[in-house]
Amino acid sequence: MGVAEHSKITFLELQRKKVHRYVIFKIDEKKKEVVVEKTGAPGESYDDFTAALPENDCRYAVYDFDYVTEDNCQKSKIFFIAWSPSISRIRAKMLYATSKDRIRHELDGIHYEIQATDPTEMELEVLRDRAS
Amino acid sequence: MAHLAETYACVPATERGRGILISGDPRSDTITYCNGRSVIIRQLGAPLEPSIYGEHAYQATVARFSPNGEWVATADVSGVIRIWGRYGDRALKNEFRVLSGRIDDLQWSPDGLRIVACGDGKGKSFVRAFMWDSGTNVGEFDGHSRRVLSCAFKPTRPFRIVTCGEDFLVNFYEGPPFKFKLSHREHSNFVNCVRFSPDGSKFITVSSDKKGLIYDGKTGEKIGELPMEDGHKGSIYAGSWSPDSKQVLTVSADKTAKVWEIMEDGCGKLRRTLECPGSGGVDDMLVGCLWQNDFLVIVSLGGTITIFSASDLEKPPVSFSGHMKSITSLVCLLQGGQKVFLSGSYDGIITRWIQGTGYVGKVVRKGSSQIKCLAAVGEEIITSGFDNKVWRIPLNDDQCGDTEPVDVGSQPRGIAVAVQIPELALVSIDSGVVMLRGLKVISEIKLGYAVTTSAISPDGTEAVVGAEDGKLHIYSISGDTLTEEAVLEKHRGTITAICYSPDASMFASADSNREAVVWDRESREVKLKNMLYHTARINCLAWSPDNHLIATGSLDTNVIVYELDKPASNRITIKGAHLGGVYGVAFGDENSLISAGEDACVRVWKIEPQ
Repeated sequence: MGVAEHSKITFLELQRKKVHRYVIFKIDEKKKEVVVEKTGAPGESYDDFTAALPENDCRYAVYDFDYVTEDNCQKSKIFFIAWSPSISRIRAKMLYATSKDRIRHELDGIHYEIQATDPTEMELEVLRDRAS
Repeated sequence: MAHLAETYACVPATERGRGILISGDPRSDTITYCNGRSVIIRQLGAPLEPSIYGEHAYQATVARFSPNGEWVATADVSGVIRIWGRYGDRALKNEFRVLSGRIDDLQWSPDGLRIVACGDGKGKSFVRAFMWDSGTNVGEFDGHSRRVLSCAFKPTRPFRIVTCGEDFLVNFYEGPPFKFKLSHREHSNFVNCVRFSPDGSKFITVSSDKKGLIYDGKTGEKIGELPMEDGHKGSIYAGSWSPDSKQVLTVSADKTAKVWEIMEDGCGKLRRTLECPGSGGVDDMLVGCLWQNDFLVIVSLGGTITIFSASDLEKPPVSFSGHMKSITSLVCLLQGGQKVFLSGSYDGIITRWIQGTGYVGKVVRKGSSQIKCLAAVGEEIITSGFDNKVWRIPLNDDQCGDTEPVDVGSQPRGIAVAVQIPELALVSIDSGVVMLRGLKVISEIKLGYAVTTSAISPDGTEAVVGAEDGKLHIYSISGDTLTEEAVLEKHRGTITAICYSPDASMFASADSNREAVVWDRESREVKLKNMLYHTARINCLAWSPDNHLIATGSLDTNVIVYELDKPASNRITIKGAHLGGVYGVAFGDENSLISAGEDACVRVWKIEPQ
């Protein structure tokens, strides 16, 4: 299982140049590598991101979360979300679970990781709690 | 946001053959007692706002306020005493494991520094007295060989402790440090309760041998007894002194309470016998009493609390009750133009509540069998228990009309009734459903899968049946047959509740996998999903009258209210609604939600939509 060069480049763009709000990765079974499925513009919201994730298939995603801390500083943290809904096929869950380490290794600079098995586990509150 | 508006508390847990000990704080007119794992503190002037403490890990047995009213000491069956602050956030001051078995009685010393506790020590120590803040022992209490049922601390100096128990002995200890002084074996049966008079001059012991004996408070010598001629005809379970130390109230298994005048020399004279209103059965045996300020609080075996006025014994008493065991179902009924809530517990008690007033009455049924399912429509209630019978009972306030049960062949797992056609009812049994019209079984339909629950649309034309594998089967009803129209597969667990919206355009279903879904009736499409915020099985669900809100109650003790036109994440959560799990929810009106649960309480919540 490899990680496509394009995936790494898109992540670096999110991290350094802030041109994406989120990136959704998919495992391409034929080419046996992790490719970029979708990216989101900086203007998009968290709800757009949740809507872009399929309901019954697994994905990896990276989301750039902006928030204001208690002392009024604007901060930004990058979340890696392993989206593995319980209604997806077992084969998909296994595939994504075993390849997760590979992609995490490539994406250097992730602040927090979340594993979500249903929409309630990746709510905005969950991200906010983790970040603070 | 939701906040608690009213609580209809449970009643003290009672046990046949034993008395219970309730206590109170005369300064604030509150009484306190225990039920299950909760300790209930109730203000006599504000019955709809009790406060409930649920931090014990085991069944709580006795609770007492400290003399200064600031702390509460509560004990449970594992021998642990917790001392916590009464006001504020109930911070725990201390927790001690005092005995190795259940604690039956505990009392504070008058200066609030020492506590004496007694109970079942499983062969080792039966009584212990210790300092409240450090837990160090302040005496040796030998002399008892069996469970010690009650103990008392002399309220004035010099300090004395008296204990009494199942070995028929009354032991007197002097101290501190407390040492055995003398013992009395005057009783011929269990000595149930010992209490000092508030001025410390005398103490009284009451026993299952129907006698009450009076002793001198300082020396422990017997000085008198309650006369046998007017005495109780059954075991005396508890006694309580009046604040002026001149009178004593005793309650007994002969269903009466007696007020005695105690003279200076220790002789007693009957002043009055009080009869508590009741049907005359075993449930009217009186097991607990408390004389507080002007109130005589008397508790019966069935859990009814009756309050007499001490200054005016002729005045008819105020009595109220509640549930003693966990509530399994909650339904809403319109009676005489008023919304009445009926809560049913598995031991067969159905209680009526009205919002704003509280307890209104108990539904008296013939043959109070246990209740598993309860449904209400029009002027009738339909109940089923653990046998194969379904009862349809016409309700007239709280009197039940005569009725015959219907045998449905196997234990009913759920009852659904069509709101607009009250005769039509669907009873789900293990392998199918039984359709009832009035009191007759019109058809029994085998469905080939294990049915868990069902619902009929208000107009009686459609039914949704939930199966154990999570599928929802929709049937149309015509005459006495069901025709399958569709099967909906979305739930991932056994279906536990299905409910049509009041306007019949939608229905909601919930399963044991913590998920609830709202469906559109016509198109059978999912209207609101992702209602996954519970952390344990969903037990019940209800629609608000304006079809706008859906409430779900779960085993995880939370109630969650979702709004139909907002995403599921905008939910209102009521955490910890009922200790042990929520078993019934119903809406009073658009803004008030009623919930009932394992802690035998019914609560009313006011909801403000965001």
